[in-house]
Amino acid sequence: MKGMKVTLSWIYLALIYLFILGPMFFVLAASFNTETSFPAAFEGVTLRWYARIWDHQEFLSSAWTSTLVALVSSAVAVLAAFLAAYAISRGNKRENAWLSATLAAPLLVPQVVMSLGMLQLASLAGMGTGFWWLVAVHAVHNIPFALRLTLTGFARFDFALEDAATSLGAGRWTAWREVTIPVLQSSIVAGFTFCFIMSFVNLPISLFLADTATTTLPVVMYSYIESRIDPMLAAVSAILFVLACAITLVLDNVFRIRLVD
Amino acid sequence: MPDLKLTNITKRFDKSVAVDDLSLSIEHGEFVCLLGPSGCGKTTTLRMIAGFETANSGTIELDGMDITRLPPQKRDIGLVFQSYALFPHKTAAENVGFGLKMRKLPRADIDSQVKKALDLVRLGHVAERYPRQMSGGQQQRVALARALAIRPRLLLMDEPLSNLDAKLRDDMREEIRRIQKEVGITAIFVTHDQAEALALADRIAVMSEGRLMQIADPTSIYESPANATVDQFIGQVNALQGSIANVEGHIAHVAIAGGRYISGLDRQIPAGTPVLAMVKHERVFLSRLQPAAGENIFPCQVEGRTYLGASIVYRCNLGDQAMTAAVPNHPAFEQFQPGEAAFLHWASADCRIFRQ
Repeated sequence: MKGMKVTLSWIYLALIYLFILGPMFFVLAASFNTETSFPAAFEGVTLRWYARIWDHQEFLSSAWTSTLVALVSSAVAVLAAFLAAYAISRGNKRENAWLSATLAAPLLVPQVVMSLGMLQLASLAGMGTGFWWLVAVHAVHNIPFALRLTLTGFARFDFALEDAATSLGAGRWTAWREVTIPVLQSSIVAGFTFCFIMSFVNLPISLFLADTATTTLPVVMYSYIESRIDPMLAAVSAILFVLACAITLVLDNVFRIRLVD
Repeated sequence: MPDLKLTNITKRFDKSVAVDDLSLSIEHGEFVCLLGPSGCGKTTTLRMIAGFETANSGTIELDGMDITRLPPQKRDIGLVFQSYALFPHKTAAENVGFGLKMRKLPRADIDSQVKKALDLVRLGHVAERYPRQMSGGQQQRVALARALAIRPRLLLMDEPLSNLDAKLRDDMREEIRRIQKEVGITAIFVTHDQAEALALADRIAVMSEGRLMQIADPTSIYESPANATVDQFIGQVNALQGSIANVEGHIAHVAIAGGRYISGLDRQIPAGTPVLAMVKHERVFLSRLQPAAGENIFPCQVEGRTYLGASIVYRCNLGDQAMTAAVPNHPAFEQFQPGEAAFLHWASADCRIFRQ
């Protein structure tokens, strides 16, 4: 019985690796392949495709745009989510149900629909879409995710800590700065990181709302493969993959420190 | 002049009344326990004194100053919580120094007062530890030191011992009382545990359904409860339903089920009034031989026996009436088995009569 449980869990693990990390193996392999088409059999090792990225300025500048959009929109989403999670965790039940449902709504609207709506809204308002529209829509789309993570943090938060700080002479803002925010730090960091990655890789919203000055990396990658498929894209993907792994590892270490607390 | 004075305090949440027209005066240096079952309004009362809730009506005065609407951070009231509420990211010393830091004291003063406060609770050696590195008892003592470090005008404690195990709870109880006397601070201690209240308090305020039932010293609360609610809440009590038959001098006779009469202390309740006659379990005496003379002697059948170590509790049947007797577990007292016949007996002075 125990043997079977162990076997099943190994099979489960193997399937996860096969389907989640397996495809990445081929992408990584292709990024070092001397063969110029993609996908193709492995021929020899080269760093040519990595070097070629530097010849494509649009990749570099769009990566920077993506970073900026992700940073600002994640900050906005986390701030909004933190305030909402605070109210939900501390406030009364009926209002909370309302607030939770409203804030989870962006999850239910397909991104394409939301982006189309926003595009129309922008044109009705007589404004061009651009950096701030992109930031706003990314933020709205990411609020539900940030909210889930901060709510988890608040579920374990003892509000008596705030009362204690207040009784010792701290005003509301001081109590937040000295107690609430530091204690919830790991949920806030986790929420921010999650939003950052979600925003950085987002295609549907950016496709509709980015203008020529604010083209994001996924949009550039998408237009690139429309015209051709070569291993340079695999190289770009490999870099993104490694960065995502690095962020996750750092976060996990941060978490492990917090969890031992 | 009283240190703390609550006058006609009422607090409503939506439609329910949490605290109902409560008035209470506490003298300087006094240790008062607010005692009652959960939901009786004792914690709400404490939170209003601390400033976390605002009364719908009534006033709260501290040292003669009206603090009813003063924000909590300006009240100079020390608080100890059931969950300890120590800041998990700060060391014991940083926790204790928090209130002094908020008061913008110079670093050196903070350090010396933190040391004094930690020495007071005998925890000087854990100053650099984080809460997670301390035992529950240590955490609660740090919480106490933190509340006292600001030299508060009043110390409020909300069920501070509930999360500790039994042995530690007794030690902490002594410790809290010692420190309170040493500092000479007025203290209010909220608890649902009557043993805790009896052991700690100068005076106990018994609350029920948002109202103050009685405030008195522990002996008076236990021996002369003001009403049936207090009597039933404090200690283990037999409550017999009946009605007043007649009164002779200080003794009232109550007719109970099965045509029996019991006698208790008269409260000037007119004959015919439905009443409850109350006798604490340990004041009921159980014997094999019929007591020679006296009131309230009834033959009974022992039906159940619960061994509690220090005492043995017998559930007895007097025909239509069940009664419980708690007998000390000592060779001087007879012991019984279920099924045995015996006599129940109690003094009229131990039987209190309340209107139903």
